[in-house]
Amino acid sequence: MSPTSAATLAPSDPAVEASAVLRVIDVHKAFRTGVPLRRRRVQILRGASLTVSSGEFVGLVGENGSGKSTLMQIIVGLLGRDSGTVQRPDRLGYCPQYPLLWDKLTVKEHFELFAEAYGLAGKDAADSRDGLLEELQFATYVDYRVEQLSGGTRQKLNLALALLHEPQLLLLDEPYSGFDWETYLRFWEMAERRRRDGMAILVVSHLLAERDRLGRVYELRDGRCELV
Amino acid sequence: MTRTAAFTREQLRAPFTLVLLVIVPVIFVVASAGVLGDFARAQGGSLAADAASSLAAGWAAAFVAGTLGFFAASSSRGADRRLALAGLGPARVAASRISASMLLALIAAAAAFGTLLARTGVAHPWHAAAAVLAYAVIYLAVGVLVGSLVSSPLEGSLAVAFVFLLDVFSGPGMAAQAAPYSISRKAADVLIAAGSGNASDAADWVKLAVISSACVAAAFVAFVLAARSRS
Repeated sequence: MSPTSAATLAPSDPAVEASAVLRVIDVHKAFRTGVPLRRRRVQILRGASLTVSSGEFVGLVGENGSGKSTLMQIIVGLLGRDSGTVQRPDRLGYCPQYPLLWDKLTVKEHFELFAEAYGLAGKDAADSRDGLLEELQFATYVDYRVEQLSGGTRQKLNLALALLHEPQLLLLDEPYSGFDWETYLRFWEMAERRRRDGMAILVVSHLLAERDRLGRVYELRDGRCELV
Repeated sequence: MTRTAAFTREQLRAPFTLVLLVIVPVIFVVASAGVLGDFARAQGGSLAADAASSLAAGWAAAFVAGTLGFFAASSSRGADRRLALAGLGPARVAASRISASMLLALIAAAAAFGTLLARTGVAHPWHAAAAVLAYAVIYLAVGVLVGSLVSSPLEGSLAVAFVFLLDVFSGPGMAAQAAPYSISRKAADVLIAAGSGNASDAADWVKLAVISSACVAAAFVAFVLAARSRS
């Protein structure tokens, strides 16, 4: 089966505002593993589908190895899919499970690079950056290189880069690993504030205990998403 | 802060980079040139002492640029792709990467050429400088291509070293019969000529320019492919 191209939804289309911001339809993905000539195919996703609407906080849960991060990476575009469709908005923010950062660059330099990528300039970029440094309480480290940061602080930067441009759709892959308890609580407050402002949020978690904080929850089981 | 400046700074902040830039040219040009000549004669080659010194500068630039190119490609792949997906796009990220890498290749070539000048005279210094830079650019591409395919630092750096060693020992003057082709052959010819007091003809310069340009293009494409979206 050949993959269907990922379409982007025009944020100005009125119909979009009232409907799903993210649509994942029947996505299949397999990996080949093993030595050449003896490779075997491991099917991870077998028709995974989900939607996330504006102002929703949707969870994606599942056991270790169920394919949650794989699905997230397919949604973002880091991984290709074997078949299926992903419809997502132009303006999205992605916080990967493991920080994708440059070890030798400082926190400030990361913000500058991503501000440019998001099309933020001058005061807008500085205000957004300063706001996030304040919210996540890591302003002290703005001139530190990533290699000098603790795991939790790296994760704060990882998350802040996804929020810098106030995206329409926020994709979070276990974003609070390494957070202390206070920062963990602050994360949920931040996320709830943005949800109320209309941001669509999909969070991958392997902890069912957080379900009370979420609207709808999909469980990824046997390669498919089921509403639980 | 430009992207190129950020990526250049990223590479230069590694202590290992500074060690490479300083130590390798000294080792190659000062300590190894004589050994290179002796080894060539043992293999039946005809490498003269001044040519050996010039070639050593080329190999120094090649080794440093190849190593830096490998680490530029392999260590930053994930973050570069994330930046491309954030809106910059793979072409702009790749352009910044190749610009930063070229700057580092220039620094590597300057360090090697400077060591050569300090150690021995060169009859045609500008020719030698251009050829040393060509070595750096060619091996930058080798490092980037290996880095885009191999993410493990050990395996990747061994692969770069393997290509380098094959090239060194198959180069002109290193054996009774040079290998029919090596990636740095034209750069070596120009560098040997410069070191021996001979100017290279226009055809050699054109070939060198074409090879170097092709290497830069290949490295750029490798960076683009590494940073592109998979959707």
